[in-house]
Amino acid sequence: MKNLMIIAAVAALASQLAMAPVGAAETEKVFKFYCAQCHGLTGKGDGPNVTKDFPVSPRNFTNAKEMNKLSDADLKNVIMDGGPSVSKSPMMPPWGKTLNAEEVDGLIKHLRVLCKCKGKQG
Amino acid sequence: MKPILTAALSTVFLVTTASSVLADPAAGKAAFEAKGCGDCHYTAGPAKEKTIDDQLAKKGPELWYAGSKFQKDWLGKWLADPKPIRPMKFNVLTEENPGDHPKLAGADAASVADFLMSLTSTDVPAGKVKPKKNPKGRQIFIKKMPCSGCHQYAGRKNKISGGRSGPSLVDAGVRLNPDWILAYLKNPKVFKPVKMMPVFTGLLSDKDMMNVARYVANFKPKKKK
Repeated sequence: MKNLMIIAAVAALASQLAMAPVGAAETEKVFKFYCAQCHGLTGKGDGPNVTKDFPVSPRNFTNAKEMNKLSDADLKNVIMDGGPSVSKSPMMPPWGKTLNAEEVDGLIKHLRVLCKCKGKQG
Repeated sequence: MKPILTAALSTVFLVTTASSVLADPAAGKAAFEAKGCGDCHYTAGPAKEKTIDDQLAKKGPELWYAGSKFQKDWLGKWLADPKPIRPMKFNVLTEENPGDHPKLAGADAASVADFLMSLTSTDVPAGKVKPKKNPKGRQIFIKKMPCSGCHQYAGRKNKISGGRSGPSLVDAGVRLNPDWILAYLKNPKVFKPVKMMPVFTGLLSDKDMMNVARYVANFKPKKKK
């Protein structure tokens, strides 16, 4: 019986760990790996893909005024389903098949740190 | 008697054909090791990368499926006279590709190409993709799922456009096996479990992936008029 209880406790802990949110350091790594190609390492919209031919300006995440127009749900939509899901450019591709839910939630928090803003509420 | 003769002749034919395609992979493997190519490229599959750190620790692209990915003529020439494929340094967003890939002397280039072409993946079915002008593929590449955001290509009047974080696709039809392009789009994690490119499986239909593969495989140098 005691063994069973230990197993149950370990299983509960393991499932909690699996659900644990991605930490800030890990999220920054995710951001720099996937997002910085276009949005730049510091999120100013100046990644190496942004040449004079690039058809749109990738979002500058440090622009609080613009970032405040978007709710966290908008950010989630655009990350998961790409620009067209919020009537923006398809140059922002859908990452829903690449990133897991915890990574996306972590990125949203990271964007709020970069913009020092809370975004559109409600 | 006749079946035996046929079988014997077929064997001779197969051996001859195979040896003309793969001249000397063993010598190429020895040259690959002697030149230290393995310091930057791993050649034993399957894919090893599990995390972003694993991917970032690599100094160069994995080559364990090189024989399914590349075209042999291109590979031999490139090894003898390498020109940057990626605008940016491998795994780095802030530095240009310095174009300092080591050069191999002619005989080594040929045998290393033979060795690399012997490294194939069963996940690349052969004979599926025929390079072809493809307006639907172009539409996806440039607008719908904009591959061009990260990959350079030669557009109208041969103007080089596109992003710089991914490998250039200018003349990709000379470099890449058309069937690999499709296999990679359909099943990317077999080849690159952790990569900067989005996964399009489930977002693009098989038909559209075929359109993109045909379009990209048709990127070839324009003939001078």
